[in-house]
Amino acid sequence: MSERITSSKRLMFPRWANYLLPAIVLGAVGGAFYLPVAFGIGASPKTMAVGYAPTQPVPYSHALHAGKLGIDCRYCHNTVEKAAFAALPATQTCMNCHTNLKPDSVRLQPVRDSWTTGKPVQWVKVHDLPDYVFFNHSAHVNHGVGCVECHGRIDRMEVVSQQKPLSMGWCLECHRNPGPHLRPRDVKVTDMNWTPGADFDGEALKKDYGIRDTAYMQSCYTCHR
Amino acid sequence: MAHDTHDKTPANLPKATYEVHAPRLPRIPFLAVSVGLITVVGSWIPLVLFARARQIPSSEPRVSFVQDMGTQPRYNAQQSSEVFEDGRAARLPIPGTVARGHLDEDDHYHHGFERVKGPDGKMVNKFFDTFPEQVKVTPALVKRGQDRFNIYCSVCHGLDGQGHGQVNEMAVEDKEAKWVQVASLPSDAVRVRPVGHIYNTINVGIRNMSGYGAQVPVADRWAIVAYVRSLQYGQNAPEDAVPAENRNTSQAAAK
Repeated sequence: MSERITSSKRLMFPRWANYLLPAIVLGAVGGAFYLPVAFGIGASPKTMAVGYAPTQPVPYSHALHAGKLGIDCRYCHNTVEKAAFAALPATQTCMNCHTNLKPDSVRLQPVRDSWTTGKPVQWVKVHDLPDYVFFNHSAHVNHGVGCVECHGRIDRMEVVSQQKPLSMGWCLECHRNPGPHLRPRDVKVTDMNWTPGADFDGEALKKDYGIRDTAYMQSCYTCHR
Repeated sequence: MAHDTHDKTPANLPKATYEVHAPRLPRIPFLAVSVGLITVVGSWIPLVLFARARQIPSSEPRVSFVQDMGTQPRYNAQQSSEVFEDGRAARLPIPGTVARGHLDEDDHYHHGFERVKGPDGKMVNKFFDTFPEQVKVTPALVKRGQDRFNIYCSVCHGLDGQGHGQVNEMAVEDKEAKWVQVASLPSDAVRVRPVGHIYNTINVGIRNMSGYGAQVPVADRWAIVAYVRSLQYGQNAPEDAVPAENRNTSQAAAK
């Protein structure tokens, strides 16, 4: 249906403009649903943070050392029971074995360089919390929270990747209900294979470890100061 | 009636005309359809990318849209620094200085040996054969020693101390040229050593074994010594030292 544009019609919208209103309404409604959902999924730590697996200067395999050889996590990360920070091992710790084991390995060259020059190996931190969070390893490790709770099956990883979102909401899930995440004192915190048995009693463990009430556990000051 | 006057149209007005049926709306322009379709299909692309990001590990750190002081201008533990040549933010002690409380002046407790004049007049190391007075040998200490032994020592010496830990077994299996079979702790050669000698071995190492002084604090080293002693005794104990109810009667009968 073609119409000649006469002088009086020049200032009028073309007829297809009638579609603009429903199109705008549809777009607005669709966008109002789509954008928050897309942002929520996209910006979620489950998307952004989980799966972070940086390339390390030495292709160190936790699957071999912690898994196959069964070396305790604390052999290298030996500060976890006393300090907030889980120390990366000194080069000396690597050289305890690698002075005599695989002494010519090319992959170990950065470790030997560090040993001779005194310059540290520059490992890349995988589980990196924001600076306004004061996570304390000793507070968790000494109260029955196993390594696997936050780090996943490190003993099966050739390359360490972040398994949990480490978001505030994720932390609070456990802080509000710590019982099911605890393990008895006679189970090693570093044991990645342990699963609670039928007689597992999280509430009793909470008492045993003297874990504070929910109000304290989810107080801002518990983690931020 | 009022109706009569209303119905009468004045003769001088033009007759109004109405289109009773509105004409069909025109076709939606091709451009508009394309833009709409591209938007709808395009809106799936981020979702697909997000799903992919959840499945595939990435070597890139997370993107923080809002910093919110998440990265503060401060050094965290063991963080690197561009200021210092060796790249450490944490500084090493200046050579020749001693940190408070780290003088380690108690030969018995901190070193396990003392320097004494030998028979020929030369200074020699004399290992202490007793636990220092700071260490009370209790079941709790031995338990602590077991805990530490299993973390730091068992990787080579094995849980029973006989030198068949996982690392040793793999090294032997792989025929590592420089590897030497790990010593058995309950062996006679080690059993006769004074506790100070064992302490010193943990502290600074011996032959092919590195020192563990950097990883194991002083009190824990003595706890490990106590546990090593209990391993040695336990595996060489006379049968009458075992409580009767704990004796393996079938083994005793076999002898």
